Amino acid sequence: MADVDHESLRDTAALYVVGALDARERAAFETHVRDCASCAAEIQSLGAAAQAVPLAAPQVDPPPALRGRVLAIAGERSPRAGASDLRTLIAAASPRVIPSWLSLAALLLVSVALGAYAIALRQRLGGLEAQLNDTIARLNRTEQELITATRTAAGVQARLAVLTAPDLQQVTLAGQAPAPQAAGRAFLSRSSGLLFAAYNLPPLPAGRTYQLWYLTGSAPVSAGIFKPDDAGRAAVTQQPPAPAPAVTGLAVSIEPEGGVPAPTGAIYLAGQAP
Amino acid sequence: MWIVWAVVAAGSTGADRSAVERMARGDADALAELYDRHARLIYSLALRVLRDDGDAQDVVQEVFAQLWRQAARYDDRRGNVVAWLVTVTRSRAIDRLRRRRSRPESPADDVDPTAIVDPALPIDDRLLTSARASTVRAAMDELPLLQRIAIELAFYEGLTHVEIAERLEMPLGTVKTRIRQGLLRLRDRLEGAV
Repeated sequence: MADVDHESLRDTAALYVVGALDARERAAFETHVRDCASCAAEIQSLGAAAQAVPLAAPQVDPPPALRGRVLAIAGERSPRAGASDLRTLIAAASPRVIPSWLSLAALLLVSVALGAYAIALRQRLGGLEAQLNDTIARLNRTEQELITATRTAAGVQARLAVLTAPDLQQVTLAGQAPAPQAAGRAFLSRSSGLLFAAYNLPPLPAGRTYQLWYLTGSAPVSAGIFKPDDAGRAAVTQQPPAPAPAVTGLAVSIEPEGGVPAPTGAIYLAGQAP
Repeated sequence: MWIVWAVVAAGSTGADRSAVERMARGDADALAELYDRHARLIYSLALRVLRDDGDAQDVVQEVFAQLWRQAARYDDRRGNVVAWLVTVTRSRAIDRLRRRRSRPESPADDVDPTAIVDPALPIDDRLLTSARASTVRAAMDELPLLQRIAIELAFYEGLTHVEIAERLEMPLGTVKTRIRQGLLRLRDRLEGAV
């Protein structure tokens, strides 16, 4: 056989030892190997490694019930003796009676074991499902908490930006005629926004809202609407910077629900910027 | 000579042979002993091929049933018991896989243990023991990806080289070369590790 052919036969030997030849190719190669020392040597050389490959499968413990199934084999049938093995013949000739109730009992045991295994599996599946639902619920909760926390953090950051702004101004608002006991305080930065808090505000009549105003050299500019809580407290954070030119003060009036572009109602709080 | 290797490598090869002899005399404890020693290995192999727990369990049961039936004819000059178990398990699992693919080509029906080990194939006790599984796995993991995949498709899917080439969309010649290179590298790694 030519050398060129043997190059390809070496590859064929590799296919042979991993079982990748079809039946016809395998038969042809086996015929060839009988008369070819070179290919036989090649099989020797690769065979040991090939035999080891199936051991590389990931190792998994068989289910415990399988042991019972396999051991039941010994109860079902006795091994067939080889004709040449005298000892085995003698052993096989000695009476070895297995009562039928015994194999029936073994069968019963196996069925019971399998049934128990199936029940155990189902229970485990149920448990896993419950765990999964629980985990999903927890995840949703966590997501909600994260959104809330992010919002809170953003709010805190905005307020902090106002309080640490270099152009910070503080305005104290005093209660006016309709509510002399009310009071308010504001921190104002043209660059960062406004923080406003009010105390002891009277409850609002139905269909009305409080509105906060920037007082400027000309017409007042709305700084948002708000409603106090039951104790008469309210807080407003205003992100956009105060309007130009300069804010000369702040005031709070009562206006129709939804607010208005220019103040129309009675003034409840007012204060001058320093 | 093989006894020395058996003792050095596994410590159970001699015990396997004596267990098979006892099985030939109908000793059910011997079956239990072999099961406890090797069931994990062959169940894992069957599961790897079939990827189905029920089918893998059936194969393990069939393999032990065959060993039990044919124990008296077991010839201990031809390879060790693990080699027999691995070979029969693989061929039964792949048969089942092919039947599942409705491709009834069945080259290894009820393999005769005296014939299963090709006399031309060296059965190296050092390589074929349960204890060696992790070493072999490490050596396989170190193979270049295509070499490993080509070898695994042959072993675990029972594909021929033509089918492997189709599956990997590679020329036939490349598949052959990859398989050979992979085996050579594997052999060197395993010899180095013994």
